[in-house]
Amino acid sequence: MPSTHVQGISPAASPIGQARRHLSDRSIQNLFIWPTLLLLIAVNLFPLLYSLYLSFTNFLAVQNKPPVWVGLSNFGTILHTPEMWHYFATTGRYALMSVGLQTVIGFGLAMLVRRKFFGSGLITTLILVPMMISPVVVGMFWKMIYNPNFGFFNFLLGAGHAGKGVDMLASKFFGQSTPGLALIAVAIVDVWQWSPFVMLLVLSGLNAIPEYLYEAAAIDRASPWFQFRRITLPQVAPLLLIAVLFRTIEAFKSFDLVMGMTGGGPGDQTELIAVNLYRQAFLGTFKTGFSSALAYIILIIIIAASNMYIKYLNQIKGEA
Amino acid sequence: MARFEERGPRFPTVQPVRVDKIHPRAQALRRIVALIAVVVTIIILLPVFVMGISAFKTRADVMSSPPKVLFRPTLEGFMLLLTERAVVSPARLEELQETAKEGKLSLFERLALDAGMEITGPSAYVFRLRNSVIIAGISTIASVVLGLFAAYAFSRFRLRGKDDLLFFILSTRMLPAVVVTIPLFLMYRQLGLHDKHLGMIILYTVFNLSFSVWLLKGFIDEIPKEYEEAALVDGYTRLQAFFRIVLPQAASGIAATTVFCLIFAWNEYAFALMLTSQRARTAPPSIATMMGRGGIEWSAIAAGSLGFLIPVVIVTFALRKYLLRGITFGAIRG
Amino acid sequence: MATIELSKVEKKFGDLHAVKPLDLTINDGEFVVLLGPSGCGKTTTLRMISGLEAVTGGRILLNGKEVTWKHPSERDLAFVFQFYALYSHLSVRQNIAFPLQAQGMKREAIDKRVNEVVDILRIRHLLRLRPGKLAGGDQQRVALARALVRRPAAFLMDEPLGALDAELRESMRAEIKNLHIAQHATTVYVTHDQIEAMAMGDRIVVMSKAEVQQVGTPVDVYYNPSNLFVARFIGSPGMNLVKGKFSGGAVRMAGNDRYEVPPAWHKPLANSLDGRDEVILGFRPEAARVTPDGSMAGEVYATDMHGGHTVLHVNIFEGEMVHIRSDRQNTYPMGTPIRFAIDPEMVRFFNPRTEAAVRREAAR
Repeated sequence: MPSTHVQGISPAASPIGQARRHLSDRSIQNLFIWPTLLLLIAVNLFPLLYSLYLSFTNFLAVQNKPPVWVGLSNFGTILHTPEMWHYFATTGRYALMSVGLQTVIGFGLAMLVRRKFFGSGLITTLILVPMMISPVVVGMFWKMIYNPNFGFFNFLLGAGHAGKGVDMLASKFFGQSTPGLALIAVAIVDVWQWSPFVMLLVLSGLNAIPEYLYEAAAIDRASPWFQFRRITLPQVAPLLLIAVLFRTIEAFKSFDLVMGMTGGGPGDQTELIAVNLYRQAFLGTFKTGFSSALAYIILIIIIAASNMYIKYLNQIKGEA
Repeated sequence: MARFEERGPRFPTVQPVRVDKIHPRAQALRRIVALIAVVVTIIILLPVFVMGISAFKTRADVMSSPPKVLFRPTLEGFMLLLTERAVVSPARLEELQETAKEGKLSLFERLALDAGMEITGPSAYVFRLRNSVIIAGISTIASVVLGLFAAYAFSRFRLRGKDDLLFFILSTRMLPAVVVTIPLFLMYRQLGLHDKHLGMIILYTVFNLSFSVWLLKGFIDEIPKEYEEAALVDGYTRLQAFFRIVLPQAASGIAATTVFCLIFAWNEYAFALMLTSQRARTAPPSIATMMGRGGIEWSAIAAGSLGFLIPVVIVTFALRKYLLRGITFGAIRG
Repeated sequence: MATIELSKVEKKFGDLHAVKPLDLTINDGEFVVLLGPSGCGKTTTLRMISGLEAVTGGRILLNGKEVTWKHPSERDLAFVFQFYALYSHLSVRQNIAFPLQAQGMKREAIDKRVNEVVDILRIRHLLRLRPGKLAGGDQQRVALARALVRRPAAFLMDEPLGALDAELRESMRAEIKNLHIAQHATTVYVTHDQIEAMAMGDRIVVMSKAEVQQVGTPVDVYYNPSNLFVARFIGSPGMNLVKGKFSGGAVRMAGNDRYEVPPAWHKPLANSLDGRDEVILGFRPEAARVTPDGSMAGEVYATDMHGGHTVLHVNIFEGEMVHIRSDRQNTYPMGTPIRFAIDPEMVRFFNPRTEAAVRREAAR
């Protein structure tokens, strides 16, 4: 509706009756939007730009010395430090494992609760519960569950007694050090927490498929597997992809869960890139300039991925 | 099955169904699927359940190996979580035991007594919990109110660069917390907002804004403009139309958005960790640091986790219809 | 190709009757239309024939063999849906090939069939496109092609033209009918549009409120409706129905109108009114002729110009409005009193309490 369309209706005509001064559409527009915009600029945009500036300095937040320009040396250091690449690789591995499993399990869950049966609504809501819990809290109680002595996980595996058996978070498999076990443990928890999200998206996609497509297929003698392959999967694929993209971006940003469970350990097996960033910036020597550079690198990766995500979304919307 | 094809189903169908769907095999399959769904749900909720019962175990029970399924429930975990205690001298101990016999001690005081301690006041966690409530509450209200106004403007007015603005708003959600925190930390330190409630409230408001604007815009878009136009023709001002017509109709959308923002602010950890220390710290960063005499106080952690997630679960259930809609909205509509 | 027999086919949802026990035989190569207002049970009946809906009573036979409980895919029927049911993620060619692929046909055989069908429906130029990009009429043709490609024993169509605009509907109507004739295909067609039914059907099954009202050729249902519902529903506008009392060889109506009943009707009327004198007089708009010495009188209320003819809305007495077709190109001003006569060959009578038509040959 054009904003200039209705301006200055005479107050006398107002059924409210009073000769109150009223605001024009233009002022309302401004009044409504600017507070939000200002806040966003102040708290998001400005820090981003400030951070960009810092990434070119060697500023240390603990000292009171003003920042010194060092050009691209922070970025250079990051790109040439093998540990950094290692952390990126760890994050990548984690994202792959976690998102891959989430997708499969989430899809499976959606197929399970798709057709209504007694209690299916309740079950769907119950499955959402893991998603609703604060990730750090999730990390904490899974830490308890993974505990080698009294944890439920080991108990179920039949490896419960102290000293023996599996210690997931210490990467020890029956006493043998098995690096990577801790990362898998964290990935499992992430899958547990977020498969419901994938389920929700897939479910909404499944429910959107009109029944008469299946009826037509039934009349045409299509087997259930044929119907799944040629109708269900293609119709749900766009939403599934959206879920995958979204969860991949989130996996890259993953921080809360790891902090709750392992703090990056054992050693650096679960040191995801966001965790390392925190460590560099807020622990130890507060390497503000350096960590700003790292933050920017992460940001660029995420922006690239998000762009893909949004372009794809628009493509879907365009087709719909 | 030849019999079905000749005779049909044994019991009459009540719902519209395809012939092949009332075939006994199809019905059996449906029942199996339902069963699997129930089993899977139980498996999924098992960790939550395990954590939940741990909140009611004694220290010893919590760490028993193998884990106990049957145990004597106690509120010891909550007591450890919520109170500050001090070891008492033997004299004081006797005194307290006398008071206990007279029935004048509260439950928590008695539990502390059993451990040879006296309660000296609420623990830091209680204080942090209070911070959580204040900060989450106020920031949610702020983000919903501001978001509502902005969403209305985006929905009803043609603005220059509207799509770009909307994209900008959305993109703020995509940032990893750490990227923004580093400079924010410095900024807040300068402005004196570090470790202050106001600082956290502003931050949470802003982060929730991006979400609430998008979500509320989606809801408002669905309210036909004709209602307001009719009101405008009748002589209402736009503000009046907004308050009297749009707001009531968007009520369910507002409810859903409020829930989402509340959940985010309530559960938020990273910012709270990095931008607060003593005064304004919320609950999530502190749950991880329940230190007791022998190290990590597991029952307290379990109690804290349980207490922390109960409000969220209750709210989830109460508003599940809107949540389903909101999540798919957020993902599909961008 | 196929004969379809429905024997006491019934559909109940709990206590609610969606389709009351129905008997119908559709002969090989016939085009049968199930016609009725929404909710009358016609679509449910069609779906029961296809197997998309399970019967709660009765039997369905295809070429003499019982198929009541057979899987929809085992019945060798093709179904054309109202909303086309095309797969949006497949091209037109893939959509048409879909049923054959589902059956595991070989590539070359599929291509051959698709080519044949595509030329019959003249959609060859659309093969590469996705259904979403096509206009309604083309989408419908693709849906028809998909049904045709299977060479089924019979075609079932559920209001296929419902989603098209009026002009397109007319041309598609002719196309479908021609297709039917060319393929010698047995077709069961559901619609709520009586014009469509009259134009296309070899026989029409008029349904209302879960029951069959009449089964007959278009001529039958038009000229000899078996009850009030059919009389009203068929024809646009429907048959004029006026209440009156029959005595002394004439029907007396309110407002002093009196209609001399043709002699052939005297006996049937006497026998069919259950000893009472209440009767309903029926005549189609074209059965009435405006004439100064007509036996019926009325006042013009409105005139509908239809170009070549006009339809007059005439108030014959308090609360009774009839439609009369006139060839006059002039309009009558509102309130003009006129008189009209009813063609004795085309007049019909109905029993007001049973709603059934009085048969001219009714012997008692």
